[in-house]
Parts: sequence; C-alpha cells; structure tokens
Amino acid sequence: MALPAPLRASVTPTELELIASEQLVEIVPLVAMERTAFISGAYGPLRPPSKCKVPIWMATNLKLKKKCRIVPPDWLNVEFLEERLVQETTGESFSEMPFRFAEVAKVLIDTAPDDFPNPDKIRSLLKDIREARQAKSREGLSKLDHSELSLPNLCSMEINEIRPFFIRAMGVLIDIIKDAQPQQDIA
Amino acid sequence: MVYLPPPHLASADRPSYAEAYAKILASHRRSPATSASSVIMLVAPDVDALCAARMLADLFKQDDVMHRIIPVSGHAELERMREELVTYNDLHTLILLNMGSILDLPSAEWFGDFSTRLTVHVIDSSRPQNLSSVFGGGENGERIVIWDDGGAELLQEERKAWEALTYEPEPDSDEDSDLDSEHDPEEDEDEEEEEEYEGSSSTGKRRSIGDGNHGRKKRQKDERPHRMSRDERERHAARLEKYYTSGTWHGQSASGTIYILATVLERVDNELLWLAILGLTFQYVTSRISREDYDKYHSIYYDEVARLNPPPPAAGANDYDFKSQHPDDTSVYAVDELRFMMFRHWNLYDAMYHSSYIASKLGIWKERGRKRLTGLLAKMGFSLLDTQQPYPHMAKDLKLSLRHKLDQIAPEYGLVELSYPSFTRCYGYRSQPLSACDAVEAISALLDVATGVRMEVEIEGARNGGEWFGNGKVWEGGRESRRRDDERENIPPGGIAPAAKPKNTANGDVHEDADEDDPESQWRVKNFWTAFDALDDIVQLREALPLAMSLHRAIIRQGSSIIDKRDIRTLRGHRVVVLTQGPDLALFAHPGVLGRLALWLADALRDRLAGTTPAHARSRRKSLPLVVACLNEHAGTYVVVGVTAALDFGEVRKNEFGLAFLDAKERCNARTRHGTFDTSVLEINKDDLKVFLETLCEGGDR
Repeated sequence: MALPAPLRASVTPTELELIASEQLVEIVPLVAMERTAFISGAYGPLRPPSKCKVPIWMATNLKLKKKCRIVPPDWLNVEFLEERLVQETTGESFSEMPFRFAEVAKVLIDTAPDDFPNPDKIRSLLKDIREARQAKSREGLSKLDHSELSLPNLCSMEINEIRPFFIRAMGVLIDIIKDAQPQQDIA
Repeated sequence: MVYLPPPHLASADRPSYAEAYAKILASHRRSPATSASSVIMLVAPDVDALCAARMLADLFKQDDVMHRIIPVSGHAELERMREELVTYNDLHTLILLNMGSILDLPSAEWFGDFSTRLTVHVIDSSRPQNLSSVFGGGENGERIVIWDDGGAELLQEERKAWEALTYEPEPDSDEDSDLDSEHDPEEDEDEEEEEEYEGSSSTGKRRSIGDGNHGRKKRQKDERPHRMSRDERERHAARLEKYYTSGTWHGQSASGTIYILATVLERVDNELLWLAILGLTFQYVTSRISREDYDKYHSIYYDEVARLNPPPPAAGANDYDFKSQHPDDTSVYAVDELRFMMFRHWNLYDAMYHSSYIASKLGIWKERGRKRLTGLLAKMGFSLLDTQQPYPHMAKDLKLSLRHKLDQIAPEYGLVELSYPSFTRCYGYRSQPLSACDAVEAISALLDVATGVRMEVEIEGARNGGEWFGNGKVWEGGRESRRRDDERENIPPGGIAPAAKPKNTANGDVHEDADEDDPESQWRVKNFWTAFDALDDIVQLREALPLAMSLHRAIIRQGSSIIDKRDIRTLRGHRVVVLTQGPDLALFAHPGVLGRLALWLADALRDRLAGTTPAHARSRRKSLPLVVACLNEHAGTYVVVGVTAALDFGEVRKNEFGLAFLDAKERCNARTRHGTFDTSVLEINKDDLKVFLETLCEGGDR
C-alpha cells in the first residue's frame, strides 16, 4: 500500500474500523427482512418495530438508507463516559473500556448523530478520555524493558499506535542485553 | 399518455406519483438485463432540474437502484442523445427533468420507435405541454408518463378537441360504400383505443365521447362517412391553437414534484426539503412564477419546515441572523428575506446597489440615483463607512436595527415590498447559515460561468472605506475540481484550443456547430457537475458566492450603461437592445447570463417605460416585451433573448417570444439555432439579425 513508512509497519485505523464493524449492535429496523445469510453469518429476521442485533456494517448501511434507527450501546452515553473519565484522571492505571471503543464510537456517532441524546458532549468526553490515556501510555513506555511491557486495559487503537515503536524498541533492547550477557559470562 | 395527477387527486384507478415510482423500482429489480444504464435521467441545465436530479438520485440510492445522470443542454443535444439511447438494450426507464413537455414524445421522431419496455417519465415545469404526450393513448402512448401538478385537469376542453382531431378520420365528401368498408378497420382501431381509454379512466365525460362515437358509428354505417362538420373541426383546431400559442409559462417546479413523491413515500427529510425550497426560490427569483404561486408553495414548505425542524431559539426572534445551535445542526429556518442581492456576503451598499428592485425605484444608474441611495442609508442611521463594511463585520446594533429602520424609512422612497418570506439553512459549525436565495444565486452562477469564461473575482478585504486596490483574482473553481484527468489525457500535439476561442474560418452553420459544440458542450458539462457537487458541499457553495457577485457586477455595469446611453430602441411595441461592444461581451454571449440581463433590465425599467402591447401578442393585456441581443464575436452570431415582463412587480406574463421567434424566422428565412430548451432564446447568424428583428416586430400583420 502506498502509505508513509511509519504507517506501513502496523494496521491502519481504517482497517481497524473495518474489523470493529463486525461487532453486533442493536437496531430498531424500519423495514422487514427475512433471516438472510451473509458471508460472516446469518442475521435477521428484521421485524419492525422490535429490536434486533446486527453487525455494525449492516447497521450503518441501513441507517444511511434510512431503514433503521441505531440503539446506542450501553457504554456509549454521557453518564458512563463521565464516570470513566473521572476514573481515568484520578487512577494510575488505565480504566476498563471496551476493547474497540474508539472505532465503534466513531462509526456510530458519525452515521447516526440523531440517535444519540447528546452527541457533541459524547464526542468531547471521548476526546478527554483518549487524551488522558495517551498521557498514561507515554509514561508507561518509559518503563519498557527487554522482556515485557505490561499495560493492562489498553485498547485496540492505542495498541496499534505504539506497536511499531515498542516492537523496534524491544528488539534493540534485546540486542543490547544479549551483548551485555556474554561479557558477564566471560567475566 | 398518461398524465399522472398529483396524489391529492389520485384514486384507485388513477395511479399517481408513488405508483409510477414503484413501477420504476419493480422494473429495475425484475428485469434480468439491469445494469447501470437501465435508469437514465436527462437533466436540463437549470437550478430546479439540478435539485430535482439530486433528490431523485438520493431516493434511488436509498432504494439501491443504479442510475445515470446525463446533463443535456438543448434540443440539439437531446436529439443526439436520443440517437445514442436507441442503442442501449437494457434501458427501461428514462426520466426527463425540465425538458420535453413541449415535444411530441409518442411520435416516431422521438420515442415512438423505441422498444416497448421503455417508459419515459417527464417531470417538467414548463407549460404548455404537448397534448399528444399528455393525452395520447394506445400502447405507444402508454409509455410516456407525464407527472402533472393538477393543471391537466383543467384541460378537459383541450382534451376533447385533441381527441376529436386525432381520432376522427378526415371528413370525406364521397358517399361510396367501399369507403365505408375502408374506414372500418380504422374505426375499429379507434374504437379499440378508446375502449382501452375507457377502461383506464373513470370520468363521465370520456365515457360519453366513447359512447357518442359508438352511437355515431352505428348511425354512420347507414349514412355517410363524415362525422364532423368542417366548422367543428375548425373550432377544435382553433381551440388547440389557442392553447399552444398563448405563450410559455411555468407550473410546479420539478423539485416540488419530487418532494411530493417523497412525501407520499414518507421519506422526506431536511435534505429533500431544502432542495425543494431551492427549486421554488429559483422559480420565483427568475420571475418564472408569480408572487401568488410562490406564496402558495411557500406555505406548504413552511409547514414542512415546522414539522421537521426544532423551532428557532426564542432569543433569536429579533435577530434575523440565525446561528447554528450545535455542530450537527443542519436545520432549516423560515425567515423573511430582503430583496437585496446577497446582502449577507457583501457590504450593505453594494447589496442594495445591485438589487434590481431598488435599481428601478431609485434609478441608480444615474449619479442622482446613487445619491438617493446613500441618502436613504444615511436616514436610517448608517454612515458611509458603515455601509462599506462587509456585512459580517458590521456593528451588531446596526444589523439588529436594519430591518426595523427599513420598514420605517424605505416607504418614503417608494420601496414597499422589500422583504418576502423565505428560508435559511444552518450548517453546524462549518459555516454561517446560508439563505435560499443566496444558494440559488451561487448555484446558477456555477452553472453559467464556472468554466468557459474568464471571470475575475474580488477578494474580500481588498476594499477599504470605498477605495479599491483592484486586487481581483481569476476564478478557478471549475478547474480546481478533480477532473483534471480529462485535460491531461487527450491533448493533441498542438495543444487544445481553450473553450473561448473556437475556430474562425467556419463557413455555414453546420460546420460551426460541429466545431463549436465540442468545447462548448465540454464546459457546459463541467459546469453542470461543478454545480451538482456544490449542492451538497457547503464549502464549494460558499466559494461560489464571490463568483455570483462578480457576475452581478458585470450585469449591472452593462445594464446601467445600456440605460445611460439610451440604447433601447422601440420597434412597434417591442423594446430592443443590441449589444455589440463592451468589456463583457464574451460573458453575455452565454444565454443564461443574457437572460439575467434581460430580467434585470425589465425590472429596472418597469416603472419608467409604459406598458405596450406587442404587435404579435394574442391578448390585449399590456406588458413589457423586451428583446436583448448580444454579439458572439467568435462564432459570428447573435444570441437573442426575449422576455415578456409584467407591469406589476410580482406578476408574470406568459412569454410569447417562443412563437414569435419561430414565426419571424420562417418569414425571413434567417439561419437560426435553438441552443437551449427555452424557446425564447435563440442564436442567429450575424447578418440576419436586422431583418429578423424587423420581421419580429411586424408580427402583428398576418
């Protein structure tokens, strides 16, 4: 792919979005559909007005054609995010967030802002959380050593961000340790 | 054949828009040979058709119907397109937007020879409609579907006349019985068609015609063959003549029609509503519909806006400048719009100077008139410096008091109808809210002059308290778009001649056409797509506003100089203006721009010239017929535009120039060409102009 060099080492955010779109989300369909087989599995039947779980890619497709309404996942609302933000800014370690929260939130809020009660507040809360976690992961990287890097509760986009760096860094550290050891053996 | 009544007149056996749409979907889904060319939309180059195309494209996209949009700029191109379309095997739906209602579509010349799977839908706001398309029956006629706005209901008399003339064979004075038998097969056919007719209709009138014919036929087998006296025939023919020759006018906008379709399908949303509003505003701003019609449709849209949008914030009740409430705010608000030309993007003085309404009342082409304008502004409490400031930078208290003061003080100067109800749309935090008339101005400027002519555009801030440093830049909008690959790939070794310089040594019209059309149609198509993209993209739309402003400036410059130099000749009741020189001649060779100049002149001169009855007019009502001709030096032709303005502001008259032009052309054998769908615009060879104008103005003596 014709990406700049730093991005070629890892997965791109859009690919992550694609992977995250396999997750199921609940919708309120406005049209009826039988249980249909797709490549990834069979979904449906869609019987308005009862809710149904479908993959996010299908939900966004239907939403763009105005054939459904998306029900926000239970973690994507102002109260939950505010609570998490408080935890994030007061605690030392990362708070628990759904693994692919960044991608799912982006896709859902961009396609269906009218289905959320307070979309701009949610957007600003998400940004705050991301910045707090970013600060923590920068700190955590300084504790990098040659054998392990333990950052519990890190989410997929963040892992993807630091992956190129810490892979190379760990490689260099391992080389340094290997060089240091034979000298010790000899001595 | 079928003309579709609007949904409120539909009934079980009179299908309406929704059924026609469902049929399009069904034939798309069911036909095995469906491809991207199965549904084709031919779109005329005006803002209303553009909005309608966008709305229909959105509806199709939501229904997963693959479609193609093809811009068509005039009759000649439509004919060429038709030739091409004959070769498409998988075409089953053709939609014509704002074109074709005057054409006899079931005839062999147009779509009579196409395969029977093809259905042609005509969504056109121009009237009169061709009666054989509207009423033509039989298998051939069934394929032509005209989406009507209720106007065809009023054409019952014309319907009878048309049917009488079409279905009755020529009256024969012979009494031979073998003529009887010869006539029989024809009669049978006629009867079959009429029976089909009766089956699909439910009005008593039609049944009675059928029965009448039946009865007459029986009688007629005993008697002579001719059923109608010559008088009757003549009466019918006269009735049809009257219908066709009373001039051209406009009915419901195409985008309004599609909005009604969306309402019936229950799929309306703010986007569709906004586009329908743009179509309506376009019709009003270009004097295609009268103020009454505008108010009628406006009230419908007003209710829709109230239904689909949150009410405007109470704090903003006095402030006519709405602000977006939050970043996703794309709501539409109803607000009264002043008649100044784009006043929110210009400074106040310029906006008032360029508005044709004020131009006429104050006479701004003279120095005296300009002084009156500044006097008016001064009385309202705006100093000269204030009025030269761009509107967004104007002091807040001045903005708030503007409307109020205008209501108080403007009537002294004779400016009474300064505002009309209209709409504004918010675009979140991406841009300031944009009003409907500004959007229409921007899009029509893009359609006319985005490419093809060199336009200079003013950079904001280059003025300072009345002094202008002359920093303009050349408009590059059309070329910046991503279609640069057209220009890269097909460059012949000598380089392409730019659009404005067609070959010079053309002799005869045909040669000129072939050479001129390619660069001409190229820039027309480019303009079309630039405008189409801008409908969605607020950034492009805002960038087009300076283009619209410089277009207006050119029009005012030319218009004022015409009036100043008293260049308007009166030939037997017609006012004629011929432009042969001037800085903007290349610009005015475009029919769209020339049309706008004509409208501006008509508005400006409304109160100053007495109304006249043009020589060829049918009615005795006085109106203001104006003919403007502009020389296209490169092509060696004149572009001529005829406008029939009403005497009162806010009314429209039927435009009789279409027929007058055709008449005059035949009588003086001029070499002419109709470049657009508007019959009141034509291109005529340079040498024939004088003779043509004279024959035009003598038109009354027949």
